Amino acid sequence: MREVFVNMGQIQGLVGDGVLTTVGLGSCVGVALYDSAARVGVMGHIFLPRSRKNSSAELPGKFADTAIPALIAEAVKLGAQKRRLWAKLAGGANLFTNLSGPNGNIGLQNVQAVQESLKLHNIPVVGQDVAGHHGRKMRFFVDTGRVTVTAIGKEPIDI
Amino acid sequence: MERKVDFLRELGTIGVGHATIALSEILQGKLFRLEVPDVRILRFEEAASFIGGLDQVVAGVSIQISGDLSGHMAFILPVESAAVLVRLLTGSEDSTDEIFDELGRSALAEIGNIMITSYLNALSALTNFVLRPSIPGLAIDMAGAVWQSVLAGALIDDEVTLIRTDFSAEGIAVEGNIILLPEEDEFKKITRVLGLEEM
Repeated sequence: MREVFVNMGQIQGLVGDGVLTTVGLGSCVGVALYDSAARVGVMGHIFLPRSRKNSSAELPGKFADTAIPALIAEAVKLGAQKRRLWAKLAGGANLFTNLSGPNGNIGLQNVQAVQESLKLHNIPVVGQDVAGHHGRKMRFFVDTGRVTVTAIGKEPIDI
Repeated sequence: MERKVDFLRELGTIGVGHATIALSEILQGKLFRLEVPDVRILRFEEAASFIGGLDQVVAGVSIQISGDLSGHMAFILPVESAAVLVRLLTGSEDSTDEIFDELGRSALAEIGNIMITSYLNALSALTNFVLRPSIPGLAIDMAGAVWQSVLAGALIDDEVTLIRTDFSAEGIAVEGNIILLPEEDEFKKITRVLGLEEM
């Protein structure tokens, strides 16, 4: 089965079958959007909650506020209908609990920014495994919309 | 760029000198060789996969810096290398799977703390900046997850400075990486004080 890896800041999509995989989610949030009728799946690997002025030329997939519209656009381009999309999320952990202050818990800020942006676009979150203090691997099976999340030394769980 | 790399190599050499002395003391002379073979300035996208596979397990110690310069420093190494250092420090003979109990984790955080503050002292000596380190944080997890958490903590989305450090202890080769992440525009303060404006 075809497996496409989604690196930090990237957006990837598949139609019909195959697996979208993102490895090593820490404070980043992996977002899977799916249209089951069209069997279109797109995945993003979001690094920070908000884009900054000097980042305009950067990948839209890096930041929650620019990534969600870009993910929707990619799904629609591949044949999905926006009103049929749902989302599943993984990541947003806080690995270094000593890092405090305004930049402290980026993981949680990422999760909140992604959830807010999805709400703005009326896309329901039907499953998630977020926050905590460990890294995750996320696999998105585009034939069925199944999403599994794995932590080191653990069995995959379905979300 | 070239002068920046030269400066970082100089920083690496002095930092390693400090670290050798500090680590040799706590390891009672067991650690006999440290060197800086490589200094890299990496694009954000390249950084996470630099040490190896994104789902390889690594240990990362991260410290926040305040004072005349704000930023982050981290010490990231493969989990097997981390286990070698912990065995040297604690005298434990546990396997890599078992060694990171509370004692193992605190020993590793301390080694990371010593490595990072050795570089911090070198940077301080070169610039006369007052630099205050936070307490160290430790994570043992997937390389991708550890890297992005360090980078996101520093809000870095462009370049990453990496000083590779190789150890040879008791005939066992150990690899580690010191990562220097000044906050945006903070590197300019270093170049200004050193008179290397075009760096």
